[in-house]
Amino acid sequence: MENEIIVKLENLVKRFPVGKSHFTALRNISLEFKKGEFAGLVGPSGSGKTTLLNIIGSLDTPSEGIATVIGKRINDLSHKAAAHLRNYNIGFIFQTYNLLPVYNVFDNVEFALLLQKMTATERKKAVMEALEWVGLTDKAKSKPALLSGGECQRVAIARAMVKRPALVLADEPSANLDSVNSNHIVQTMKQLNRELNTTFIFSTHDEKVMRYLDRVIQLVDGEVASDELIKHED
Amino acid sequence: MKIFLLKGILKDKSRSLLPIIIVGLGAMLTVLLYSWLKGVIGESIIMNANFNTGHVKVISREQAKTPEQMAIDLSLVNIAELKKELKKNVSDMDWVERIRFGSLIDFPDSEGETRAQGPVIGWGLDILSPNTKERERFNLAPSIKRGKMPSKHGEALISEDFAEKFEVKPGDVFTLFGSTMEGGMAFQNFTVSGTVKFGAQVLDRGAIIIDIQDAQQAFQMPDAAGEILGFFNSNLYDTEKAMKVKVKVNAMFASDTDKYAPAAITLQDQEGMGQYLDYADAIGGILITIFISAMAIVLWNSGLLGGLRRYTEFGVRLALGEDKTHIYVSLLYEAVAIGLIGSLLGSFVGVLISYWIQQVGIDLGGMMQGSTLMMPTVIRTAVTPTTYYIGFIPGVFSIVIGNALAGIGIYKRSTARLFNELEV
Ligand SMILES: Nc1ncnc2c1ncn2[C@@H]1O[C@H](COP(=O)(O)OP(=O)(O)OP(=O)(O)O)[C@@H](O)[C@H]1O
Ligand SMILES: [Mg+2]
Repeated sequence: MENEIIVKLENLVKRFPVGKSHFTALRNISLEFKKGEFAGLVGPSGSGKTTLLNIIGSLDTPSEGIATVIGKRINDLSHKAAAHLRNYNIGFIFQTYNLLPVYNVFDNVEFALLLQKMTATERKKAVMEALEWVGLTDKAKSKPALLSGGECQRVAIARAMVKRPALVLADEPSANLDSVNSNHIVQTMKQLNRELNTTFIFSTHDEKVMRYLDRVIQLVDGEVASDELIKHED
Repeated sequence: MKIFLLKGILKDKSRSLLPIIIVGLGAMLTVLLYSWLKGVIGESIIMNANFNTGHVKVISREQAKTPEQMAIDLSLVNIAELKKELKKNVSDMDWVERIRFGSLIDFPDSEGETRAQGPVIGWGLDILSPNTKERERFNLAPSIKRGKMPSKHGEALISEDFAEKFEVKPGDVFTLFGSTMEGGMAFQNFTVSGTVKFGAQVLDRGAIIIDIQDAQQAFQMPDAAGEILGFFNSNLYDTEKAMKVKVKVNAMFASDTDKYAPAAITLQDQEGMGQYLDYADAIGGILITIFISAMAIVLWNSGLLGGLRRYTEFGVRLALGEDKTHIYVSLLYEAVAIGLIGSLLGSFVGVLISYWIQQVGIDLGGMMQGSTLMMPTVIRTAVTPTTYYIGFIPGVFSIVIGNALAGIGIYKRSTARLFNELEV
């Protein structure tokens, strides 16, 4: 089903307690994301991009409104159920890569599969395939400290993709990279988006990333200011 | 997953090294202290039994009222008969009679004037019969500093410290003054055959050892003795067996109404030895409690620091779909693994050192000047089966408790908060 909706947000509000009162980080957000979308949240710092991604990723819950992700209502998921949803359906990519420095590249990617019921051989096959997608099969044994920023982020992409999740959430994935590497990783993700039909939702300030997006959602002060589909001439 | 975590422990030196060192040190100290105290207590129990209390002691009922103060006039009589009875009824014990006395000894010069004089505590022991075990119990032969063992009646051993102080040497003659069993004046001449040092302050300050028959003669108490001591053939004190012997011996003389009739007491009944034995049993528990608490506090703090450093990892693991409980439990598994590794290393070193001290001993004579306790001055550890595992108890428990406390932070923080630590 090409038009399956995998993320549905209805009148989402997120308030954070600040001292005795509240700070409203998200106001009345209503959005839908379909399977296979390559969408980005853009907007100034503090506009609520990360907050929104956290709720979609079931790491946080909304104060009001309903968030439904891959058929699950985020509002009332238990810790365990939320963890299960992330384990099987959602991949995360972070600005700071967040690879585990003690483990080598292979281990870092394999880590994502350890909570699933897979044999060691199945895992190995999946990890090597994921490293192939990002072009890092030859660095499988390296420690993250020996890799460039771009390579680290590609390992993180492999880690997010190795379980073939329906949804990948990437919070400013290119913010720490130069333009060559930025382009490279976005192209990699775009390719995976096409080949595996994975839905990507980014948050970004980066023009180079925005060029590849099929949809740009502008957040200002926790509200959706605009939501446009982009036509690419290819 | 477990292999993965173990790999993390082994590779992440900063995560594992400090806890392993703390656990290892704690386990090592526990092992050392335990074997040390066991050794000290064990050896002073043996020493007390040999010199003083026996495993079971038979004395007169009157003397049994104040067993600490041996009085010649409260001695047992008809001891040849009594020993025969004891041997018949309790055959697996060695029964030996002894006379303990306090007296004055006087060394005359060539003119017969007093050259040196001092109070001593003395023992009349069976040192001359060919099969006697008393020589071993007092460890006589190895303790001789100058001269030799008495080989005939009329010879005595005296403390080396005493001999040095009064410039006495083997071959010198002295007169022993005391009171007889009947309260009369006792005096008898002896020749110093040798000097001894036992390694226990109380004994080394001034003691003499003479043969039991010489003592009986000096104090005019033929066929009498201050006490008859029973020693198990195994040479090891056994509370239950000793109690049985005591009950049996007391039953033998139940119908005797004489106040000087024999009465039996065990090692435990004498001079705080009971408390000492209880203490020996409790020592493991005491040490474990102390070390678990102390180490758990240190490890809790190092766990907190380590945990802070690992928020990235926890955040990533949450994002990858692990739930908090799982992460928490994995911390406890890690604690068990680190606890086992640390305890193994610590116990290994601890047992090695204990074993070494057991072999060579450490002389603490200088530190125990003036001590009135009968404690050996050369300390040896005792490596018992418990020594091998006792370190593991505080080792593993302290780090599990430490990590369990440190890990509470994971629960206290909301998932999003933990996760946000990733961004900084
Ligand atoms: N746990 C929290 N408690 C209080 N306020 C918070 C919390 N998390 C976020 N906020 C606030 O909510 C607002 C939105 O934060 P958010 O991190 O979503 O912004 P952002 O769009 O991702 O910004 P940036 O581009 O800098 O990453 C900010 O003003 C922030 O200070
Ligand atoms: Mg952000």
